[in-house]
Amino acid sequence: MTAGTMTTDRMPDVVALQARLAQHGFIAARSFAAALLLTLDMRRPLLIEGEAGVGKTEVAKALARLLDTRLIRLQCYEGLDAHTAMYEWNYPHQLLAIKLFEQDARPLSDKEADIFSERYLLKRPLLDAITATPAPVLLIDEIDRTDEAFEAYLLELLSDFQLSIPELGVIRAAEIPYVILTSNGTREISDALRRRCLYQYVDYPSFERELLIVRTRAPDVPERLARQIVEFVQSVRQMDLRRKPGLAETLDWVAALLRLGVSALDDGDDGVDRVMDSLAALVKTREDQAGLTRPVVEKLVASC
Amino acid sequence: MLSAIDGAPLRPPPTALADALAERYAGFAGWLRANEFRVTSADVAASMDVARRMGQLDSDVLRWSLRALLCSRAEEWRRFDDLFDAYFRAPNRTRLVETRVGGAGPLAHDDDSDNDAAPRDTSEGTPLKLAGRDARGGGAPGDGGTTADEGATARASLAHADFRHLHERDELFAIDAAIRRFALRLRGIETRRERRAQTGRAIDLRWTIRRSVSRGGLPVELGWRRRQRRRPRIVMLLDVSRSMSLYSFFHLRLARVLGAHLPDVHPFMFHTRLVGIGDALRDPDPWRSQERLQLLSHGWAGGTRIGECLAEFNRRHAARLLHARTAVVIVSDGYDAGDTTLLGDALAVIRRRCHSVVWLNPLVDRPGFAPVSAGMRAALPHLDLLAGGRDLASVERIFPQVLARLQ
Repeated sequence: MTAGTMTTDRMPDVVALQARLAQHGFIAARSFAAALLLTLDMRRPLLIEGEAGVGKTEVAKALARLLDTRLIRLQCYEGLDAHTAMYEWNYPHQLLAIKLFEQDARPLSDKEADIFSERYLLKRPLLDAITATPAPVLLIDEIDRTDEAFEAYLLELLSDFQLSIPELGVIRAAEIPYVILTSNGTREISDALRRRCLYQYVDYPSFERELLIVRTRAPDVPERLARQIVEFVQSVRQMDLRRKPGLAETLDWVAALLRLGVSALDDGDDGVDRVMDSLAALVKTREDQAGLTRPVVEKLVASC
Repeated sequence: MLSAIDGAPLRPPPTALADALAERYAGFAGWLRANEFRVTSADVAASMDVARRMGQLDSDVLRWSLRALLCSRAEEWRRFDDLFDAYFRAPNRTRLVETRVGGAGPLAHDDDSDNDAAPRDTSEGTPLKLAGRDARGGGAPGDGGTTADEGATARASLAHADFRHLHERDELFAIDAAIRRFALRLRGIETRRERRAQTGRAIDLRWTIRRSVSRGGLPVELGWRRRQRRRPRIVMLLDVSRSMSLYSFFHLRLARVLGAHLPDVHPFMFHTRLVGIGDALRDPDPWRSQERLQLLSHGWAGGTRIGECLAEFNRRHAARLLHARTAVVIVSDGYDAGDTTLLGDALAVIRRRCHSVVWLNPLVDRPGFAPVSAGMRAALPHLDLLAGGRDLASVERIFPQVLARLQ
């Protein structure tokens, strides 16, 4: 093997990152850790897609804790405009300044430059993210909820890490932030945006990984109960439901069962009763609750 | 496994190695592109950069990194592993070296029957996406046996349609003109969100103050806000069963032209199963578009199972496509060979999640029409509008009604 074109193998780094993420409460698959390592290395934005409740947002939080830096979060919604997301001038203060300047003898151009200076600029999340040092983690959550216009605004930011403000000029990133975008796929995101990002699809976790997550996040659950819970949730996911329970629901349900004092799901009628009582934490539409009748639950519990 | 590639009997000098590497990643990008990945030339450079950063000796790390870089949607993500194996695994690799001059085409796959890593490619050079979709839909010729039990009309047809007439110019021009008028009049659904406007219903104080800064604080120009209108997303479900065969081509053209004029149109066709045809219709090359439709047209002019197809739509596409501003347009004569209660239920689910459901039934234009077929009766309670639409003239006649429902 000729040196120069190859670097050393990065598998140890991937494993190390995986372990550090686990320390900060995020259990990632190894392939996910590899993609995150690449994100950190190249400082390219990472677009994470997947069903609701598989822990997409948690990634950013864990990453911020791991890097010991700020997490700046921009929650997207329909109608989000550039002013709410990037910057806005502080008009009331500007007007006040104009009134005060009336007695001022300085030339007009000076006054104008003063009124449109950074002092009167309100930083919204995106501007905040590119001016902050050390580099923060910028979480752009549920990007699919915004409209195409806003997506276009993001392009300049995500490719050059700069923002143009007409009155002030171009503001370049002091340090390139770590950008995480998440999407539930309610709207198709443009190719232009996808091309600027690394991509990661997150599926529902496997049995082993979900068990590990439950054990990590709720350490006081008995081993047997944890296994039963995860098995139950995994088989509920196989059912034809309108909204399948995600990881967040599993953890909610674990907490609910703990509060109800359940020690095992197959605890006779009593256990099934408790499961029925706490199903509200797991399935969250009327049709799905109607589908999980007592006989169905009994069968699921028996098979756990 | 990958090291076998570089450990060729005669070790080439470093420059040749660099060239070989470049060629290898360019070849991989081309291979993905041939399989309908949206990979650009910038990605080739980036993938070499990634390979250099992450190391090329561990095939897992390389796989995960390239997957993060080169995939850009869930559907590509699911196919990536197979394609990666097919390209980089040793048996394929040797063939690839032999055919290096020709680049890495699907050829690498052809007679490699003992390769168990990738699913057997029977697509004969078809993009895997299309071939996979056929397989998923379960419409393989083999399962005609089960459908035969449901009676003659529910039998899936194995005939392909002839799509040569889809792009006939005169017809397309006429439809184009009509749809352009339609698109102009489609102002969209009024949302609760407001936006800045020159005139409007309320003063936008922030903007007014912003404008007054340049006037020394005097609000000379007022800024206004008004409700935003947004065009509906249109989901078209076209029935192409035998009973509709007289009209199917017209409606396909309609869907194609509509998709060209409005940004958010999602056409599907259904008979005994449901197939998305958005990509195929949008294809800028008319010949390729025909070919792709040809591949998707298994079951064309066969029986109809409307209920099952709508239920499948709900299962696979509804979460992604339906929202409060979606208009669902179903084109069918309502002759359903499947279970009509299923049709009613599926339509009820659709209706609950979208803005409006419009059903175009070509038979409505006939004198003395009454919606008495079992399918129509089941559907009727969930429809916002039932109208005709057998040809261009009748479609234009119902534009005002459709527009009224859509906005």
